[in-house]
Amino acid sequence: MVDLKNLIEITKKIVSREDVRYVVGYKKGTYGFQIMPAFAYTPEDAEDFIYSPVCSKNLAVYTILEEKLPLKRGEEEDKRKIGVVVKGCDSRAIVQIIQEKGLKREDLVLIGIPCKGVIEPKKIEKMFPNQTDLIDVIENDNSEYIINIGGKTHKVPKNELLSDVCKSCEFPNPPLYDVLLGEEVEITEIEEFSKIDELDEKHTEDKWEYWKRHFERCIRCYACREACPLCYCKECMADTLNPQWIRRSVNLSENAAWNIMRAYHLAGRCVSCGECERVCPVNIPLMELNKKIERDVKKMFDYTSGLDEEEKPLFGMFKPDDPEDFIL
Amino acid sequence: MEEFEPNIIGFLCNWCSYAGADLAGTSRIQYPPNVKIIKVMCSGRVNPMYVVNALQQGADGVLIGGCHPGDCHYSRGNYLARRRIAVMKRLLEYIGIEPERVRMTWVSAAEGRKFAEVVEEITKDIKKIGPMKKIRRENIW
Repeated sequence: MVDLKNLIEITKKIVSREDVRYVVGYKKGTYGFQIMPAFAYTPEDAEDFIYSPVCSKNLAVYTILEEKLPLKRGEEEDKRKIGVVVKGCDSRAIVQIIQEKGLKREDLVLIGIPCKGVIEPKKIEKMFPNQTDLIDVIENDNSEYIINIGGKTHKVPKNELLSDVCKSCEFPNPPLYDVLLGEEVEITEIEEFSKIDELDEKHTEDKWEYWKRHFERCIRCYACREACPLCYCKECMADTLNPQWIRRSVNLSENAAWNIMRAYHLAGRCVSCGECERVCPVNIPLMELNKKIERDVKKMFDYTSGLDEEEKPLFGMFKPDDPEDFIL
Repeated sequence: MEEFEPNIIGFLCNWCSYAGADLAGTSRIQYPPNVKIIKVMCSGRVNPMYVVNALQQGADGVLIGGCHPGDCHYSRGNYLARRRIAVMKRLLEYIGIEPERVRMTWVSAAEGRKFAEVVEEITKDIKKIGPMKKIRRENIW
């Protein structure tokens, strides 16, 4: 378990450094099981910081979202560092961005947290619906979550609330950090991301029926894109008008094209944080697409994303003996 | 009823496959007229979204032709294309689009005969699975 005092202390120390602009972390939300991202510009701001199993948001996204306004004459760019609180997958996302030269390692201070898995907000909301008060969730040593609601204590087995992607997480410990809070988590058992095989064995028509049902519901809000730490293109291909890769009308054809494009652009880059699926308002199982590609890439090219900053991106390199059994 | 005649878009690279298709023509080899050829400078130029967009806009199948490994005019374009198309093909298959619709081939400038054979095979396959309806754009204007 992460020691809160330790987290706040370390954050304070980092914020008060001269070369650090701010630190991004989590703070309590306003109701229910919500949490909010917190930005600590001063040591006092860091008092709000928390870490609990409901902190599912991937904070790596804030390192790339920042708007850089044009400089006035004589003004100098603020080159101070940004601090981020990172779990295993968040850290991998940052490694991947550094690998693609989207960020510089020198510009970041990473507070690593060995992660025991996070709660899926959609699951906990279903189990305890319509909560108006702020609720604390604590994980104990017996793989149970202790949830206090209105004086009553609920004990819920971890497996019931754990996010699906966390169940099959291979890298709970951040591969890149400056400070690590707590001890590294040992990987005990990894469940296969089972839904893929199930669908993979089905007939082509059944696969299409399954995805058609989901794609038809897509409202193209692009929440999946906005929440993804790796969708950081200044101009997304979905937004360009010349050439217009996908039209803006919401129908099956364009929705399918968008979802194919989104999944494909994350090939060999997705770090399986599950953020896209978490924010989807119509519950499209986007992680199935991402996981499927991740598995294919692993099998065909023996490549895993977000582990080594020096490695070249998947589609930027090749091996002469890549599989080519599909070529006529 | 008339027999279904598929629309196949062929993205052929300027240096090998396109010259191969040209050779097939000049040596008067018969092959199905279903393939519509678009010349690209290299198979590495083919953005995998081209494949999706072609299938959306009326193609029943897509063929991507490049130089044999090691022969690329730009030394590595076809290797990169091979990776990209391999991933895209598997993704489309997972979503439920028949894998026969997206094909890739290596044709050198001297292989007119091979080009004709490849086109014949693809046309036969796509005739068997029928027209592409799944992600077809409805309102074409």
